[in-house]
Amino acid sequence: MSEAALIGLFVATVQFGTLVFLAALGELISERAGVLNLGVEGMMAMGAVSGFMVGLETGSPWAAFFAAAAVGALVGGFHALVSVVLGADQVVSGLALTIGGLGLAAYVGRNVVGERPETQFTDLGIAGLADIRWFGEIFFDQPPVVYLTVGLGLAVWFVLARTRLGLALRAVGESAPTTDAVGHSVMALRSGAVMAGGAFAGAAGAFLSLYMAPGWTEGMVAGRGWIAVALVIFGAWRPGRLALGALLFGFTLALQPRLQSFDIELLGVEVSRISPALLGILPFVLTVVVLVIISWRYRHRPSPAPAALGLPYRREER
Amino acid sequence: MIRPVLARREKVIPGTQAVAFVVGIAVALVLGVVLLSTSGHSPAEVYERMFDSAFMGSDSLARTLERATPLALTGLAVAVAGSMGLWNIGAEGQMMAGATIAAGVAMVADGLSGPLLIAVMMVCGVAGGMVLMLGPALARSHLGVSEIITTLMLVYVAIRVVEWLETGPWKDPDSFGFAVIEPVPEQASLPGLFGRANIGTLIALGLLIVFWLAVSRTAWGYELRLAGSSPNTARYAGISLRRKILTALLLSGGIAGLAGAVQLTGSATRLESGLSNGYGFAGIIVAALALMRPSGVAVAAVVFGAVQVGGQSIQTLGVSSAISDILQAMILFGALVAAVFFNYRIRWTGPAGQLPGDEPEEADLAVEGA
Repeated sequence: MSEAALIGLFVATVQFGTLVFLAALGELISERAGVLNLGVEGMMAMGAVSGFMVGLETGSPWAAFFAAAAVGALVGGFHALVSVVLGADQVVSGLALTIGGLGLAAYVGRNVVGERPETQFTDLGIAGLADIRWFGEIFFDQPPVVYLTVGLGLAVWFVLARTRLGLALRAVGESAPTTDAVGHSVMALRSGAVMAGGAFAGAAGAFLSLYMAPGWTEGMVAGRGWIAVALVIFGAWRPGRLALGALLFGFTLALQPRLQSFDIELLGVEVSRISPALLGILPFVLTVVVLVIISWRYRHRPSPAPAALGLPYRREER
Repeated sequence: MIRPVLARREKVIPGTQAVAFVVGIAVALVLGVVLLSTSGHSPAEVYERMFDSAFMGSDSLARTLERATPLALTGLAVAVAGSMGLWNIGAEGQMMAGATIAAGVAMVADGLSGPLLIAVMMVCGVAGGMVLMLGPALARSHLGVSEIITTLMLVYVAIRVVEWLETGPWKDPDSFGFAVIEPVPEQASLPGLFGRANIGTLIALGLLIVFWLAVSRTAWGYELRLAGSSPNTARYAGISLRRKILTALLLSGGIAGLAGAVQLTGSATRLESGLSNGYGFAGIIVAALALMRPSGVAVAAVVFGAVQVGGQSIQTLGVSSAISDILQAMILFGALVAAVFFNYRIRWTGPAGQLPGDEPEEADLAVEGA
């Protein structure tokens, strides 16, 4: 394996890690407030298509990125309306959001399939640092979204752990009636969290369609939204662990298309001869294995999940 | 400030889910009008074409039944798990796994007579679905791993394995370089009913009836529902939750696998990565709309079959078939919201949370406990 290939692998690890981290961070906010949103895949698809289309229209990647976040928040708002305000089943609503979101994205984007963006995010190349051998290219010559996402991760950690808003959000995820009794609005907190989560997922979708795989095709999210949902469990609902998990999954996602070009042998089989379709199952198998290991570790301890996760709250029923 | 609060209705109106379903369809159609007219199509023309292609004439009805069959089976698969409060959202993958094992067996056992081969393929289909479900089921029953994510992840695994088989080991040597698997033997095709409909529809219908009887009329079914609705009571009654979870999930996977075998021997000619065609995912909506009840699954499957047939037919009008996915999701959303308003009423409360004429707290609790 050449040095350039190895560096390329780690550059892609950071980018794929950013992709799933951004989406998972949004899901973490939503779940810490007690709302499970299985619509991440659909919100990412909507973010991807709307970001790409705004990018085509305006030529500005940033306008596209934030438009996608706004669309994600809007789609998330739909889940908030149905499952938080009206208190319908969160699993059903989230699944419908994924199926409907994927369908709507396919419909909205039907005329831009195959188009190429004129401008896209460029790698920052931070002065002085980007030239460091190995590390420069991996850590200091990435698109701005990578650094923004790191900042967002720190911000989410800070807000959740160190502010009154974060305390209220975590409280509503543990027990809605108690939070209500203290005088906070359960609906506002939860709806806000779900919409913020939608914005993150939409932005992640735009990162995909504007930078990682510029363009729009149906099914381009390809299960990354679901990996983000699984990552939140892996990260035990904590931003720090989430970042670690994102790097692990980022590595697997980056490794999979590259394995073919690596001249290595595994268990007597030349990896380059394994079919790409078969290598494509790696991230998904890893997800299952990781979830099993996590549950095994927590089998004698209380689950780290927010206590009220998935439970709708209606004031009447306290 | 006076604000609205949702209060549970004391009397639940009977038949509400059916009405909610109709409301859902209406909501979806209205939103469809908005979507279609903003993109320059004539909604009336599109809807007319959809309705005609799905219901007018025996060929149309046959096409609707052809699509309703896998939807009913995957819907039932989701409902079996759902009646215990579990979510099998990987029916899409189990369908593929079932079809894969069935196709593999058909390759080696192509000397068997038609009915025998079909029977063997059906059994293999069930086995294939169960095999893919085994991991998630054991993880759920013994470690409490959420079955939602594990079952879904295996969808991608199953589809990619079929893609691999297509391009590699099972590639048909007579396919002139196309990456396709050889067709299933001729004798292994289900007898037709009329038009494109085949007896797979009757298999699905029969299974729905069996399941309805099993869940509503047997002790086994009662225990299953009890284990889902009140696990603690079930445990006191000596019911093994682990075993119930395992049974429900494996059965669910098996039925989804059967859907794959039925599809392979029915509408499809060969195993291909597009065989499951989103039926497993649509089955989730079907089961959710049906509130996990078999009768509802049957009705919702036919409606969704019609929406999908309609979605295909409007492509000739230049309308994307993605419309049918959107309609299906919107039907569910509409029904979900309608159901809330059937089970709850809006009550306006003042700052103290109570207005004159409100029931005392105890009454609310009593209703909730009922």
